Parts: sequence; C-alpha cells; structure tokens
Amino acid sequence: MSTTAVVPATLAPPPQGAAAPTRHLPFWLGAAALGVALFVALRLIGNEYGYYVGYFILQYVVLSSAWNILGGYAGYVNFGAAGFMATGAYTAIVLRKATGLDLLPGIVAAAAVAGLLGLATGYLTLRLRGVYFSIATLCLAVVLHTLVVNWDYVGGSRGAYIVRPREVPPFVSYGEYLFVVMLALAILTVGIARAVQHSRIGRGLQALRDNERAAEAVGVPTLRLKLVAATLCGALMGVAGAPLPYYSGYLNPEAAFGLAYAVNAIAMPLIGGVGTWAGPVIGAVVLGGLQQAATVTISSALNLWIVGWMLVIFVALAPRGILGWFQGRR
Amino acid sequence: MHSTTRRDLGRFALGAAVGGAAAGAFPAFAQSANPIRIGFAMALSGGLAGNGRATLLAYQIWAAEANARGGVLGRPVQLVFYDDQTTPGLVPGIYTKLMDVDRVDIVTSPYATAMIAPSMPVVMQRNMCFVTLFGAGVNEVFKYDRHFNMNITGDNMKETYAKGYFDVAAKLPTPPRSAAILAVDNEFAQKAAESARFHARQRGLRVVYDRSYPPSTVDFTPTVRAIQSARPDVVFIGSYPPDSSGILRAASELRFNPPMFGGGMVGPQLAAFQAQFGPILNNLINWDVYSPEPTMNFPGVADFQEKYRTQAAKEQTDLLGNYIPPYAYAQMQVLEQSLARVGRVDQAALAADMHASEFDTIVGKFRFSASGEWAEPRNLFVQFQNVRDGDLEKYKRPGTKVILAPENLKSGELRAPYGPPGA
Repeated sequence: MSTTAVVPATLAPPPQGAAAPTRHLPFWLGAAALGVALFVALRLIGNEYGYYVGYFILQYVVLSSAWNILGGYAGYVNFGAAGFMATGAYTAIVLRKATGLDLLPGIVAAAAVAGLLGLATGYLTLRLRGVYFSIATLCLAVVLHTLVVNWDYVGGSRGAYIVRPREVPPFVSYGEYLFVVMLALAILTVGIARAVQHSRIGRGLQALRDNERAAEAVGVPTLRLKLVAATLCGALMGVAGAPLPYYSGYLNPEAAFGLAYAVNAIAMPLIGGVGTWAGPVIGAVVLGGLQQAATVTISSALNLWIVGWMLVIFVALAPRGILGWFQGRR
Repeated sequence: MHSTTRRDLGRFALGAAVGGAAAGAFPAFAQSANPIRIGFAMALSGGLAGNGRATLLAYQIWAAEANARGGVLGRPVQLVFYDDQTTPGLVPGIYTKLMDVDRVDIVTSPYATAMIAPSMPVVMQRNMCFVTLFGAGVNEVFKYDRHFNMNITGDNMKETYAKGYFDVAAKLPTPPRSAAILAVDNEFAQKAAESARFHARQRGLRVVYDRSYPPSTVDFTPTVRAIQSARPDVVFIGSYPPDSSGILRAASELRFNPPMFGGGMVGPQLAAFQAQFGPILNNLINWDVYSPEPTMNFPGVADFQEKYRTQAAKEQTDLLGNYIPPYAYAQMQVLEQSLARVGRVDQAALAADMHASEFDTIVGKFRFSASGEWAEPRNLFVQFQNVRDGDLEKYKRPGTKVILAPENLKSGELRAPYGPPGA
C-alpha cells in the first residue's frame, strides 16, 4: 500500500505556494554550531558550576519540548511528566544493575521503555479528552511511583546508588561529560519537535487540537496521530530522565517523581509559548535560569513560588507565552 | 580636587544599594578579610527543614563562638550555605557552586542520607575532606577515604543498632519470648529492622510479626491491630516522624500496652512531638542520640543548649535541641580541632588527622573508624518516664528521658508495660 493511500487529504503536503517548505539543514547546522559554541565557552570559562547549571536548564529543554509535542501541538495536557522522566531514570538504573551498561545505552533503553509506556498509556487514555485525559496521566505517575516504591531491585523507597566514574576521557570531568550528553539530547529533542511541528503529523495534531471532531470528519486519523505523539513524547521524557541517577549518584522515588518536574514540564512551554518548537526552549531557559539563580541567591523554597507567579502573570497578560507576545506586537 | 556633586551622591547611593543587594544575594562575596569559609547545603525548606534549621542554628552558634575566640587558624569563620529545599536534584549544583564559584575552604554535608548521597560524587571529584551529619551507610557504596560521618550508629549497624533494645528487653520482669518488627521502607529504618531481626534471633525470640510499609502510609490502625493480635512481648518499630505519629496514635486508641514498645522511631526525639503526644509517650523505649541525664553531661553541652534554646523560638526551629543540634555543633568542633592540629587547610592532611585522632566534643569523646563512621557506636535507648502532659520544661531536666542502654550511660531503671499512667 502506498503512503499516499493511507494519508488523508488534510495531511498531504500543502499545495505549492500555500507555505514555504521547511528547511531542516540550516536548523541542524545552526543548532550544532550553537552547541559547540556553548561547549567551547564553558570550557574556556573552566568552571564546573557552568556545566551543572547548563545540565539543569538543558534537562528542562528536553522535558518541556517533549511535553509540548502532545500538550502543545495536540492540546492534550499531560500531568504525568515526572512519571515518564522517572521511568527513564529507573530504566537506566535497571540496565546498569543488570548488565553494567553505562549512561549512553541507558539513554537508548530509557527512550525505548518510556516510548512503549507512552504508547500503552495512549491506547488506554487517548480516547479520553480534556481534563479526563489529564487526570489519567496524573494517575499514571501515581501508579508508577507505587510500583517503584515496592520494587526492591531498584531500591524501593530506600533509593538506588550509582557510583559514576570520576572522569570520562576526553572530557575534563564527569560534569562536562554529562553536560555534553544533555546538550546533544537537547539539540536532538528540539530538532525532533521542530520536524514534527512542520510535518504532516504536526499539522494533523494542530488540526485535532483546534477541533478534534472536525479533524476526524475531514479524515485526520486522530487516534493514530495521538499515539505517535504520545510515544514520541514519552520516549523523549524518558531520555530526559536517564542521566538523572548519574547526575546525582543516588536516586529515590521522592527525587525521581518530584513535583518540580511535573510543574516545570507544563509551565515552561506555557511561559515560552505552546504549540511551537521554540516556546519550550525559551521557557526552559528563562524559568530554569531563574530557578537556578533563585537557588543560589535568594536561597529558599522560592522555585515553585516563582513558577506559580510567572504562570499567573503569563496567563493573565500573555496567554500565548513570550513568543506569542512578541508575535502579537509585530 | 574633585568636588562631590548631587549627581555623584546619587551614583554613590546607587552603587551602595547595588553593592549591598549583591552582598545579601551573594553571601560568598560578603566576606571579611581572608576568612575560613565553610560551605554546605542545608534543608531550610521542604520535608527535612525541621532538622535542617536546627542544624543551621547549631552551626551559627559555633561560628559565633569561634569568631569570638579569634577564629580558626587566626582567621574568622564564615558559613556559606544554600537551601537545598530537601530536593536531592539541587544538591550537586549547589556543591559545585560552593567549591568552584564560592571557593570555600571546607565543605560539610547537608542533613541526612537522601541529601548527602548526591553531594558525594561532586565532593569526591575534588578530593575534599567531607564531614557528614547523620548519614546512614552512605560510604558503604562510595568507599571514600576522606568521608567522616557524625552519627552514633557506627560501622556495623546490623550487630550494634538494636543491641541495647534487646539488652533492656532481657530485663523485663517476665522474660520475653516473642517479638514484632515493623519498619518503614527506607534505608535507615530497614537497617534498624535488620538489626532487630538479628538480635531477636540471637536471643531465641520468636518473631511473630515482621512487615514493612511504604512511607506514604497514613492509617496505622490495621497495622497496629495486626501486631496486637500477634500478642508480642517486645515490639520494635523503625519509623519516621509522620509514621511514628500515626503508629503512636493508633497504639493509644487501641489501648495496645505490650511489655515493651518502641525501637527506632524517629520523631519522639523532637520537641514538637513531645509537646503534642504528652502522656502517650510514657514508658516508650526508643533509640536516641542525646538525653540531658547526668551520665551525658559532657563539658560544654549544657552551655550550648542554653544558647540554642534562647534562639530556637526566634529561628522557628526545635525548641529543645536534644536531637541533632549537639551533634551538629560537635561536627564543627571536629573540623576546628582537626584544623588546629594540622595548622592549615589541607584536605589530605585533615583526612589523615581525622582518621588518626580522638575528638573531644560536647557529645563526648570519639574516634572515626577506617570507613569514617564512629569507631565505637553509641546507640542510646531511652525510656520516657513520668510524662503526664506536653509541657517541655521537664525535657530540659534529668528524669524524663531516662537512659536504659548502653550500660555505661545508664541513668535509671526499666518500667513496664508501655502506656500512659493508669492505662
């Protein structure tokens, strides 16, 4: 069966002149150049703290970009981001304990396991809409948390240790190595999110976000598209979580299923601008940077307070986020 | 000559304001001349904030005293700290900042295992000497030779932790024949339960109930009822404050009065707990680290507690300071004594000194073992006696938390069974 036979007319490439074809090569080259520039700049600064701040922000770039694929493009708000992230983290731990394999295979395994979980969750929940879908994803995180707490192999409530190597040649430190890995993951995730947005899948997701019944009526395979989005979203969230046990050396369920991950995964795209690949990146850099700055300056539990206030401000004054605000002014 | 105009004054005021704000926001930059900077993350908010705030106050008291004495190595002491928000994910970044940006001379740990563990890889990367506070076997995994833990549990928790509890049980008027063990599923409580199993087996006690529960458990009535129906002579519980509260409430409501009840419950050591539970604590036999009994009246501890208690209410922390604070203060004394002996800030030399030396602190004299734990464990088992209300004054005096074990610190006799007077 040919591809064109199964793709409905609405998902077919736009007629000539309707929209310029998206050019991917300049984006990838630009992103790679930016990544290299960031790496070189931090290497020149020579301060390990820069790598940790970079890692902190980049993990949110991955997480929020992943959330945006289902939540922003398709309009299905996923409250279970922490669950998917923890799935990635615990997959890396299981792989390490069972086979001794290190971080990079752990990331691949995390993507596979969290992607399958996303697919399975999609099958079970994507027929639900609106708040019912959101509640279902919230429940998923609770179910996963309970599973981990009662699973002795990964340490249960006691948590699991990962003794990481002190150095990974040719990197100057393990912190630099983690930063580079997360930088590569962030570029990959943003690239995937951008490619999805400009593809037929992305246009189909946007159609079902605007009006699912109308999209179905004109032949958009909504369930199939949502399953693709849920799988992709789950896999990328798992990828964001896989380096977490290597970052901290120890992981317990409270840390893996932390409220901050679930809240930030939603808040960052909302503040940056949902529905576009750049929105979560802007949101993660602004909000992640602000939270990290608050941690080492004001030094109190103001992180979620800041997130809460920024959400209130943006919902009231700029409901389409920073990107939408700038686009509105043009 | 440059005359000062109103514009210059405005610029000066602006500069001063910015400088002042920066000094407040970046404590590491607000330093006096060449101080010794001690950096740490501490739980000042979140689930561990209660003990975190008490620890910080103890550190601040020590720093003020050290500076009044002329500092350490002739340099003033400065504490550089950040709130870890009881979030392990923030800890590696904070320690990297402390060491690479703030460039502190010494690092000490955050409070408790879940926060210490994420700091270890970062500290090990820089080969810093690391004195931690109340970790539970963290170094069993990392095996770092510059790690030292301020915790009385020692190296071999399995054989030493519950020994005192079962030594006391052997003195019950009717020798015990059965035991029940209940523990929350976390590192510390599970190790405590493992020790209880070991000692019950050693003494030929039949374990009639042995269960764990997840930390999210809120209703303990069915659990306590199940233990009650097994009719154990000795009940050993390993729990954290929220669960300790639920278990004691359930035991009280079900009028469960076994000959011996308690074990390794965390919570009854804290002032808020003692005020809230009052007579429910009566005859509870529980693990503890300090009690103001004559046998523990180490030089300096009474003075420290007096200072601590005058500031505790203002700092909104534990009002009595009978649990973590003396050990937090002693942790700083360890650093001070080691620095004085070594004569300079040299991480390798400090670690070598800590391995080799005995420390004389407000919690007594002790040495560290090869793995950095206390060489001689000192698990106290205290019994709450004569408790008729929630008034905290009595906890400042001897006779309320009577030490039953170990024998060398014993300050009173066992009373049985567990339960409030007249129960």
